[in-house]
Amino acid sequence: MAMAMAIDDATGLDFSAHSTSTTTTTTTTMADDEYGCNWNDWSPVVDWNALSGGQDDFQDLIESMIDESGLQPARSAVNYQEGCNSPSTDTTMFTDEEASGGDLKGLRLVHLLMAAAEALTGVNKCHELARVILVRLKELVSPTDGTNMERLAAHFTEALQGLLEGAGGGHGKHPTSGGPQRDDHHHHHQADVLAAFQLMQDMSPYIKFGHFTANQAILEAVTQHRRVHIVDYDIMEGIQWASLMQALVSRKDGPPVPHLRITALSRGGNGRRSIGTVQETGRRLTAFASSIGQPFSFHQCRLDSDETFRPSSLKLVRGEALIFNCMLHLPHFSYRAPESVASFLSGAKTLNPRLVTLVEEELGPIGVQGFVSRFIDSLHHYSAMYDSLEAGFPMQCRARALVERVFLGPQIIGSLARIYRTCSDEEGGSWRQWLGATGFRPVDISFANHCQAKLLLGLFNDGYRVEELANNRLVLGWKSRRLLSASIWSSPFDSDL
Amino acid sequence: MIRRCLLNAESLLLISLSLSLLALGHRSYRAKMTIEEAEPNPHILGWIEDSVSFFPSLLDDPYDSSEINGYNWWDPNQDFAQDLIYTSATSITSTITTADSSAHTDATPDTTATAMNPTVAANHSEESVTQEMSKKRKASLDNQDHTQRRNQSPSTIENSGSIDVKPAKPVLGVKRAAGKKRSAVSSGNNGNNCNNKEGRWAEQLLNPCAAAIAANNLNRVQHLLYVLHELASPTGDPNHRLASHGLRALTYHLSSSTSLPSSAPFTFSSAEPRFFQKSILRFNESSPWFAFPSNIVNSSILQVLSEEPDKSRNLHILDIGVSHGAQWPTLLDSLSRRPGGPPPLVRLTAISPTGDGGDADTPFSMAPPGYDVSPLLLGFAKTLNINLQINRLNNVPLQGLNPQSIDASPDEILIISAQFRLHHLNHSDRTEFLKSLRALCPKGVILSENNGDCACAGCVDFATGFSLRIEYLWRFLDSTSAAFKGRESEERRMMEGEAARELTSAAEMNERRERWCERMREAGFAGEGLGEDAIDGGRALLRKHDGNWDMKVEEDGGSHCCLSLGWKGQPVSFCSLWKLSGGGK
Repeated sequence: MAMAMAIDDATGLDFSAHSTSTTTTTTTTMADDEYGCNWNDWSPVVDWNALSGGQDDFQDLIESMIDESGLQPARSAVNYQEGCNSPSTDTTMFTDEEASGGDLKGLRLVHLLMAAAEALTGVNKCHELARVILVRLKELVSPTDGTNMERLAAHFTEALQGLLEGAGGGHGKHPTSGGPQRDDHHHHHQADVLAAFQLMQDMSPYIKFGHFTANQAILEAVTQHRRVHIVDYDIMEGIQWASLMQALVSRKDGPPVPHLRITALSRGGNGRRSIGTVQETGRRLTAFASSIGQPFSFHQCRLDSDETFRPSSLKLVRGEALIFNCMLHLPHFSYRAPESVASFLSGAKTLNPRLVTLVEEELGPIGVQGFVSRFIDSLHHYSAMYDSLEAGFPMQCRARALVERVFLGPQIIGSLARIYRTCSDEEGGSWRQWLGATGFRPVDISFANHCQAKLLLGLFNDGYRVEELANNRLVLGWKSRRLLSASIWSSPFDSDL
Repeated sequence: MIRRCLLNAESLLLISLSLSLLALGHRSYRAKMTIEEAEPNPHILGWIEDSVSFFPSLLDDPYDSSEINGYNWWDPNQDFAQDLIYTSATSITSTITTADSSAHTDATPDTTATAMNPTVAANHSEESVTQEMSKKRKASLDNQDHTQRRNQSPSTIENSGSIDVKPAKPVLGVKRAAGKKRSAVSSGNNGNNCNNKEGRWAEQLLNPCAAAIAANNLNRVQHLLYVLHELASPTGDPNHRLASHGLRALTYHLSSSTSLPSSAPFTFSSAEPRFFQKSILRFNESSPWFAFPSNIVNSSILQVLSEEPDKSRNLHILDIGVSHGAQWPTLLDSLSRRPGGPPPLVRLTAISPTGDGGDADTPFSMAPPGYDVSPLLLGFAKTLNINLQINRLNNVPLQGLNPQSIDASPDEILIISAQFRLHHLNHSDRTEFLKSLRALCPKGVILSENNGDCACAGCVDFATGFSLRIEYLWRFLDSTSAAFKGRESEERRMMEGEAARELTSAAEMNERRERWCERMREAGFAGEGLGEDAIDGGRALLRKHDGNWDMKVEEDGGSHCCLSLGWKGQPVSFCSLWKLSGGGK
């Protein structure tokens, strides 16, 4: 418990608290031991090294666990160690001696989840087996209780259960894309959603990372412009633009504050981002702009009923710097159909924007195919997320529970349903690849922008990392797992207006 | 062992190496951070500080939404009129019309752009249709593939996911199957098996695990052991039980090179003799697994006796079986009701497994130490006025049977009952042994055996053998669950524990019914048609049990010498009656 306190202290967001390497190593190590569900460190217990990136190989750890659980046979299995290429091997030394019950249970859960996923699809498909495994999992976990891994496993169990029920009766009856188990959170109370959003924003850099990186690139791109027009694909609460406005008005000895126009795309139908909410966001932003003296106007542009973007519905002004901002899959965002995103980005191409800012989920290694491997990738992804949230707020179980319930749980369900539906499809890869292939030109991330990201991460737990994976791309990760990618692009054509 | 130590040391070395690298990394990372801190971007820092300031309050009460609405950058009190937002919009509408239309024409080529991404836009619906179709096609192909494989070779494993199937073995399987007559059993196999297989989840873990062991895919072995460990249970649904027994067997297999299995299951040899006796009697009442063959043996003995004109000759039964005496009271009862009364002397010579050569390793063959059914049978015979003599041969190996060792006399009618014991004999010794039985000049031989393929290491690879054993045990557990109507009891636990010895026994060298019959003929026996009494008796017996049991009269060479017992359309055992061929008196 003393360790838990230490972690709590460490999250006091004081730079100096992290200044010595000894402190930090202790904290991370103990965090791993204490919270047991460090997927990054354990992942390839099964033969899926190749699929999950093959970071770490912890046969010794597993050996000790299996010995404890009385499964001697696996002893022989453990001799098989090809070497440790892990960047964070520190856990082994400790867990070997003190593999706690939590660690073992986490491992058991991971195995059960993988087996259930495998039983749902593929050559060994056996729905009865999947059902039995899920029954067992439900005995073991609860979404609101237990360790990180247990809560995460509960959400994955629920998601798999949904797939099983959908797949059980007739084949081809997949969970419908518009079904209630979509990853949206509109069934939650609005206050809960706001609270969860706020917590998410404070507990982790996930939201700010994307916003800040995009904003910094925008600021750098519009220094010479008197009018800036941002077309925002998914404005949500609009918090990104508040920070941009603040930055615009506080530019020291820079040019006069430009006029900022934001066009938010709004969805028709009964989606959560109904016009009402977009209007509300607009009202807030307008109010905020006037309070800090930012010349500002706000517009909406309605997407077609199938969420297709028509460039012709956009009102443009000659001479304004046009920016297309596309934030996808931030932890609190709704899922957007690829068709819709594509219509937005290809629409952007026809309008010669000054800049396209894109933030998207970082998926597992390209070429990961099949439901099981993508399932594992997803498990890996969300466990990194859970770990990061927990490391940031070890004592705030209720706060975390809210974030998990409102955002992550539904997102897991939606994401697995999509993987399941499309598991035999060729994966389309990332949007940045698409942009590159479509002819958009990469725009370098500035040194300042990179530094800003690092500073931002410095506010949070040590486990976060930012990498510059291309000149125009920053990636935010937790330990060895990459989670979010921000990339900056410009129009294929000369867009100097 | 030595190799293992070396590997561990090596891995330790690797770990310590990467640890020191990690520490270095940490230091340099730190250093970089301090440099960056020195040159902060002022307005960004302002933002960050802003967010830091409300941090603690959220920690105190994360649920207070009023706090959140009071978030410093948006002011809930502001109530701007909606038209304010739109004023600037209307003023510029006219200017954009041209740009607008050009944008519109440009919009059409979008599809070419989107086409580059397969998951996207216009092409999607079309694509998904074709994908759907190809999926279906694939699915039906898969099905075909599956049924084909099942037809071809019941001995190859279905879930060969990661096993590299050794080419020699499946070919063997195919040959065997091709040479086999397509009896009703195998067609039932297809129809029924498809439906049943889905519910049999334990095999979906056990067989791939055995295959992974064979393929040396240790990560996968470990994974499957973990899952089995979670789902295995000695009680409940037969699948859980199968998982439990299978897991123990796999554990045993993996550890047998170094150590013995930790916990022995409850088997015959660990039972208390009186409990054992009660249990087998009760099991025979509730399941035909052994009761059916015993019943056929008894009727066959009566049939053979009835064909003997001289009613005054003694009867000598050579009992090489697993019934532990439980079947004889019925026979004695029938003998007492026989027209003309029982034979003047009924001799029962029981051959106990000798412990070597795998006989004792055969499931159900070993009674617990101290068990003796003789007093009970003798007492019972007395009440029926039958002159019974029981002789138990404890130290005579099967191969050592001869007229002297069983104290045969030329005047008596010798009938041999061989039940579920002969499959421990090596394939190569088997016909020879049957010839030695012939040398005893019995009036009849009743052979009952498991009806299945051999799982021994000499015949098939480990994974195939394991899956055969598992399949056999599944039938036992599934039918026993029906027999006990799902109720748990110590008796059931013992019977199942004993049956599970099948998984680890090296002596499980089953052969199909056809092969056994072939051997009997080779040894100089001829199939004897089972009489109406035997067949009707068997039928009547099955009627008392679960509807999934079935019995088939097999017609070999015109005579009904064989009865097959099946569970859910799958062969379990067979009974056959033989006499010396060629009128060999």
